[in-house]
Amino acid sequence: MSDKAYSSADDSALVRAAQNGDMGAFEELVARHRDKIYARAYSMMRNEDEALDLSQEAWVKAWQRLKQFQGESSFATWMTRITINLCLDQLRRQKRQRSESIEAMDEESGGVERQMPVVNVNPTEGLERGELRQRIDQALSQLTYAHRTVIVLHEFEEMEYKEIAKTMGCSIGTVMSRLFYARRKMAALLSDLKRPE
Amino acid sequence: MKHTFTPAPQMSWFALVFFLMAGFTLPNRAGQNSELKFEVQLIWGTNDKQSPNPKHKEVEPEIRKKLDELPLKWNSYFEVNRKQLEVSKGDKNKMPLSEKCAIEVKDVDGKRVEVTLFGKKGDAVLARTQPLPKGEILVLGGNAPDRTSWLVTLKRIK
Amino acid sequence: MKEELQFKLQAHLDGELPAAETREVAKWIAQDAEARALFAELKNTRGALKVFESEIRLPESREFYWSKIQREIARSEKPQTTEKPSWLASWLRRFLVPAGALAALVIASMLIMHQLPVRTALGEPESVSAFADSEAFTYRDYSTGMTLVWLSYPAENGFAEVLPSDTLGYE
Repeated sequence: MSDKAYSSADDSALVRAAQNGDMGAFEELVARHRDKIYARAYSMMRNEDEALDLSQEAWVKAWQRLKQFQGESSFATWMTRITINLCLDQLRRQKRQRSESIEAMDEESGGVERQMPVVNVNPTEGLERGELRQRIDQALSQLTYAHRTVIVLHEFEEMEYKEIAKTMGCSIGTVMSRLFYARRKMAALLSDLKRPE
Repeated sequence: MKHTFTPAPQMSWFALVFFLMAGFTLPNRAGQNSELKFEVQLIWGTNDKQSPNPKHKEVEPEIRKKLDELPLKWNSYFEVNRKQLEVSKGDKNKMPLSEKCAIEVKDVDGKRVEVTLFGKKGDAVLARTQPLPKGEILVLGGNAPDRTSWLVTLKRIK
Repeated sequence: MKEELQFKLQAHLDGELPAAETREVAKWIAQDAEARALFAELKNTRGALKVFESEIRLPESREFYWSKIQREIARSEKPQTTEKPSWLASWLRRFLVPAGALAALVIASMLIMHQLPVRTALGEPESVSAFADSEAFTYRDYSTGMTLVWLSYPAENGFAEVLPSDTLGYE
């Protein structure tokens, strides 16, 4: 395939070509989806260098496993799942090093956030996209790993509760609790950020 | 009837082949020159159809064909500079390719050359030692900003 | 509000409730100000998050990013010779190795006697050094007689700054 053919081919055609060893087709897939894959890794890891490394590792793994991809989902979804699993593995390794405990986090999220006053202000009001993105970035970085992960898996990866539970190795009830806590915390953080000095 | 292969006749045959190969590859001493001559080009690779510098022209078809055979992905190649470089046997020669870069070619042992690229601070950026027979081309290159590339082609012409 | 009800509001927002419960919760939201407020907050937060990832861009050039992936793939694909040799390979090894050794001895004697440089198919020693903070990979096409040496990382050197403004015919 020529460069022009690559850029006009759809993902399925590129995947088929790449499965037959066409590296040019795979490069085109990388070019098309690299921002999204990097964004997913960055949302999880909150660190540019780690996100770069893990996103590249995801692409290498994808190449190695490409023949296993049968089109059961879109290529982009398949790629983001590989990325998320790599990020989760890395986060778990880091978590072991930091000696955090899930039980402690669950206790932490048990009572306070359910009693927080409701935030009435829409956080997107009056903000430019760039500014909003910055605020969300700031707020996300203040969540714990487990709560940020559930936000990423649900809001960005659009996984259902059942899938998230399987991915995170916890119950659906825990997923619902963490997601609720994470959302309420985000709302509070965003409204705090909006409050005039 | 079962045939068995004996090593001796096979070894003789292979030895004969190697003798012949050695004989044909002996260099022609009468044709050896004391000076090596190279053509050097500094090239800018881009996906743009034209270079912003009107002085730049697209590389010649022969070079274009050669570059297309390499695993490079740019659509256009523009000649930034072209020079000829002579190197005496056993010696080296350095010349600038632009305000910011230079090339040095050294004759190592009569058949191998050592090619060194120097950057803007005068530091060596890349060095490559290899045989470069007449007619063969060595291409050294790297990424440049805005999805472009720089290339230095070195072709031995004498 | 009880935790169970809060989670139901969330599940309703996320489309995780069965149809019958969805209708019940929708009715409850319409009638209860507190439920309505909390539902709005959850919805606003979800809406805000939708913006986030779409704005994130990879902070590296296409070629640079790809070159690292490509190199890693190449490294991971280095061939491992674990195949069981075929009968042909066994035969070749049995007879070619001693024949080759004998031929090499003959050639070595010739070299010593005549002191002539020989161009062998084994290839003369080659080396690449990348001095700058970068790495280089090499591609060789024997059929066309071309060698490409590529700096994978954009080094801080004058070559990477070859701009169109560089003049032609610089002296």
